Amino acid sequence: MMTSVPVEAAVSSGDCPVTVGAGAGGVSMQAKDLALGFGSATVLSGLDLEVGKGQLTALIGPTGSGKTTFLRSLNRMNDKVAKHWHRGDVLLNGASIYAPGVQLMALRRRVGMVFQRPNPFPMSIAGNILAGVKAHRIAGKEHYRDIVEARLREVGLWDAVRNRLSSSPFSLSGGQQQLLCLARALAVGPEVLLLDEPTSSLDPVTAGNIEEMARALVPALTVVIVTHNLAQARRISDQTVFFYQGKMVERGETAQLFEDPQQPETARYVTGRMG
Amino acid sequence: MALAARHAPAAQAPAASAGGRGPLAWLRAFSRRLTGERSFLRYATGVAALLPLLALLGIVAILAAKAWPAMKLNGAGFLWRSVWAPGSTYGAPVKTDGVLHPVGAEYGALPLIVGTLASSAIAVLFAVPLSVGAALAVVEKLPRRASHLLGMFLELLAGIPSVVFGLWGILTFGPVLSRDVYPAVASIMPDTPVLRFFRGNTGYGEGLMTAGLVLSVMIIPIVAATTRDLLRQVPVLPKEGAAALGMNDWEVAKKVSIPWVRAGIIGASVLGLARALGETMAVAMVSGSLLGTMPANLYGKMGTIASTIVQQLDGAFSDGTGFAVRTLAEFALVIAVITLLTNIAARLLVRKVATTALPVGRGV
Repeated sequence: MMTSVPVEAAVSSGDCPVTVGAGAGGVSMQAKDLALGFGSATVLSGLDLEVGKGQLTALIGPTGSGKTTFLRSLNRMNDKVAKHWHRGDVLLNGASIYAPGVQLMALRRRVGMVFQRPNPFPMSIAGNILAGVKAHRIAGKEHYRDIVEARLREVGLWDAVRNRLSSSPFSLSGGQQQLLCLARALAVGPEVLLLDEPTSSLDPVTAGNIEEMARALVPALTVVIVTHNLAQARRISDQTVFFYQGKMVERGETAQLFEDPQQPETARYVTGRMG
Repeated sequence: MALAARHAPAAQAPAASAGGRGPLAWLRAFSRRLTGERSFLRYATGVAALLPLLALLGIVAILAAKAWPAMKLNGAGFLWRSVWAPGSTYGAPVKTDGVLHPVGAEYGALPLIVGTLASSAIAVLFAVPLSVGAALAVVEKLPRRASHLLGMFLELLAGIPSVVFGLWGILTFGPVLSRDVYPAVASIMPDTPVLRFFRGNTGYGEGLMTAGLVLSVMIIPIVAATTRDLLRQVPVLPKEGAAALGMNDWEVAKKVSIPWVRAGIIGASVLGLARALGETMAVAMVSGSLLGTMPANLYGKMGTIASTIVQQLDGAFSDGTGFAVRTLAEFALVIAVITLLTNIAARLLVRKVATTALPVGRGV
């Protein structure tokens, strides 16, 4: 077992071995006996789960299994939902994100999110990239241009929009809008990126681009993706977690989980006999 | 007659086929005549559609015709003179350029135009930020019951007659402001070009500032209720996106919610502005009714076009030459034109904002 210092070094050098959870890569986020619900409904219960640092973790499961709710608990997006409650805890690098004194805004800067459908802000394309940068005062005005270009290049959107940075993002195609949202999320420099079915509203080619980009983000970032697309989960993830009826049924390395599932529900789901 | 003849066979056919059912068949034939192609209703709706246009043109034309002699005599200088002299109603009237008028009659609209625009500007300046804030609180912050209650109060506020606002303004609001607020503000303002108008004698609560503030209370319900309805339409996804980026509630509102409905907020503000420009009774009660002279400062007594028309109408009828009434008609024309121009400007502004900011286009 490595100590924490070499783990950090390994992560930053991009030399992160792909192993289960608390292994050599370390744990980025961890749910501890997490239960969560809205009003009288319990959506998640008894959840103990670790997200490996610098890994791409896919959350799969049938609709209503709680995977998106779990994803949203990682940056506390559920907090605002009416009658939300939770028990247990979620840790980021070992520290509780629900602890009193945790700055919600700072947490969300560290744990970014891209949504199911593109959600650009009603401001210019460049303004979208800079929205988070300005909110967190990450850089001075003189760096704005460079940030916009770097972030748009990073997601492969620069050439398409370089001549219309000041126009509305709503004139872009759905796929380009989603890439913009990805660039916007990356611009604040998160440690963890949560992707909530980011390709479900996109055509296969654009979806492929986003997949590649998500893959390229690890191991510099920790990525958690919710997907209904089993082939996608299989293609891009290191770890896969199978959710069923608000519980984690199985978690393991992707290849192992798909080829040799340990639980009968997982086997039924990944072979297409359920869900 | 020709119409009825042409359509008679069509109307009679179903009546004949359903002959056995008597009054019902008659009703059906009648309704067909009302609603069928080229029927009475079609013409009626066409006329109804034209009605607003006809009404607008008619009002402006009649005002212009009434005001024409006054316009001829007052000249273009009417718009930039500061004078109010009804002339002597005791002496024999004189005729200038074929227009009969009392000796010494001279009118200038500048102080009233300034008073109208300034009091309305103050009203909008105070009302819009407050309204948007209240609407944001109702939609985003307050629990359902409190927001429901606040919404109800807004609607009640909108239903209060303006004379009540005027009375409250002159008996309570104005005196309190002039005792506790205006002197404090006037004492800290520096003697610089614009802020100079905040200095000086603060009066007893009748005047420009009080009128503007009473007007702002009156238009808050309009602007706030409209903005609230608009903010409810903002989709949740971009707001969540902003929150997920680490923005706090205020930033989400500033960056996403308000820009999303900016065009609508401008529209709502113009509705409020139009009400403020035309408000008569409340302003008449709190303005101090100054005629022919510019307000001395922001607290000074003043008049607006609408309030002056209603206050001077009675006296104007005592002018046997009719010149005073014709001049009031000219004032009415001026306020109509101001309102019209404001609306056109707002329309252009809304269009400009709407094309740049609102989500129109592909995707999503």
